[in-house]
Amino acid sequence: MKYGFICILPLAAGAGAYGFAFGVLAAQLDFPWWGIALMSASVHAGSSQIVAVEQFASEGFIVGAALAGLALNLRYIGIIASLNPILRVIPLPQRLLAIHITGDENWALTFAKRAQDKSVGAPFLMGSGLTMLLVWTISTATGALIGKSIPDLTEYGLGFAFTAAFIAMARAMWRGLQDAMPWIVTFMVTIGLIKFSVDNAFAILMGSISGVALTAFAHHFKGHRKND
Amino acid sequence: MTDTQWLLIAILAVGAYSIRFVGLVCGQIVSQNAGLNKFLGDLPGCLIVALIASSLSDANALTWVAAALALIVAVISNNVVATMGLGFVSMFTLKFIFV
Repeated sequence: MKYGFICILPLAAGAGAYGFAFGVLAAQLDFPWWGIALMSASVHAGSSQIVAVEQFASEGFIVGAALAGLALNLRYIGIIASLNPILRVIPLPQRLLAIHITGDENWALTFAKRAQDKSVGAPFLMGSGLTMLLVWTISTATGALIGKSIPDLTEYGLGFAFTAAFIAMARAMWRGLQDAMPWIVTFMVTIGLIKFSVDNAFAILMGSISGVALTAFAHHFKGHRKND
Repeated sequence: MTDTQWLLIAILAVGAYSIRFVGLVCGQIVSQNAGLNKFLGDLPGCLIVALIASSLSDANALTWVAAALALIVAVISNNVVATMGLGFVSMFTLKFIFV
């Protein structure tokens, strides 16, 4: 657990800067700092919170704002499902906690580390997840309290640091040429869907399912050729 | 805090956790099917590639150049912190020069 806590710190620093920016935004929309802290701890979904609060401020319609935010979270069906080999070995209460504290960053880092060391599992996921939850909650609340006097770091390219981190994690997950075609298909389908105005959350889910489906088809086809 | 703000937080919290719980159940169902189970192993890689694609889909040319540089650093170093740091520096430098 301690290893996960340490490894996630650079990513947590980046998430903290984002949380800070979100806290500033939410405070400007009349959310109190403790309300933002409560939202961050109980929802723990950065992009969903940002979209929902923005929609709520502009439209004033709760269900629409919540649905817009939650749609972004649909990728977590795939993300949590992929954790099954890691989660099935821990007791149910821990599993129920682990799914709440799992975010993009600690999920991806867990798989990147696991690709190099098979002993990395649930303790790493939970240690890194607790760090992310704590940093996200504190940074959003701090942003709401004191944020207006500090410049918006996202304007300096902070958002790209996450893209770069995901590129590095993909590199760590690379298993060889067998991954090339599914990954290319996933990349092209995801970008294609977004270009055709499909919501990012659906595009991520559909793109990755396309990649996995291609792998399944390739395995099936290989099996048939062997039988022939 | 107003009643509507409380309600928004409650709906988001319940909705976000429900989506994660569906993922947990789906993972267990898929793992019980030997034919489907091996494809759970392919899902993380495809999901992370999809996340990268979504963040680059509407990006400008500078971001794509920075992404290419980050990929080179990742391939050479295989290190998350180095790639993240150099990725941020390259993006910052490109913006400073060209914007």
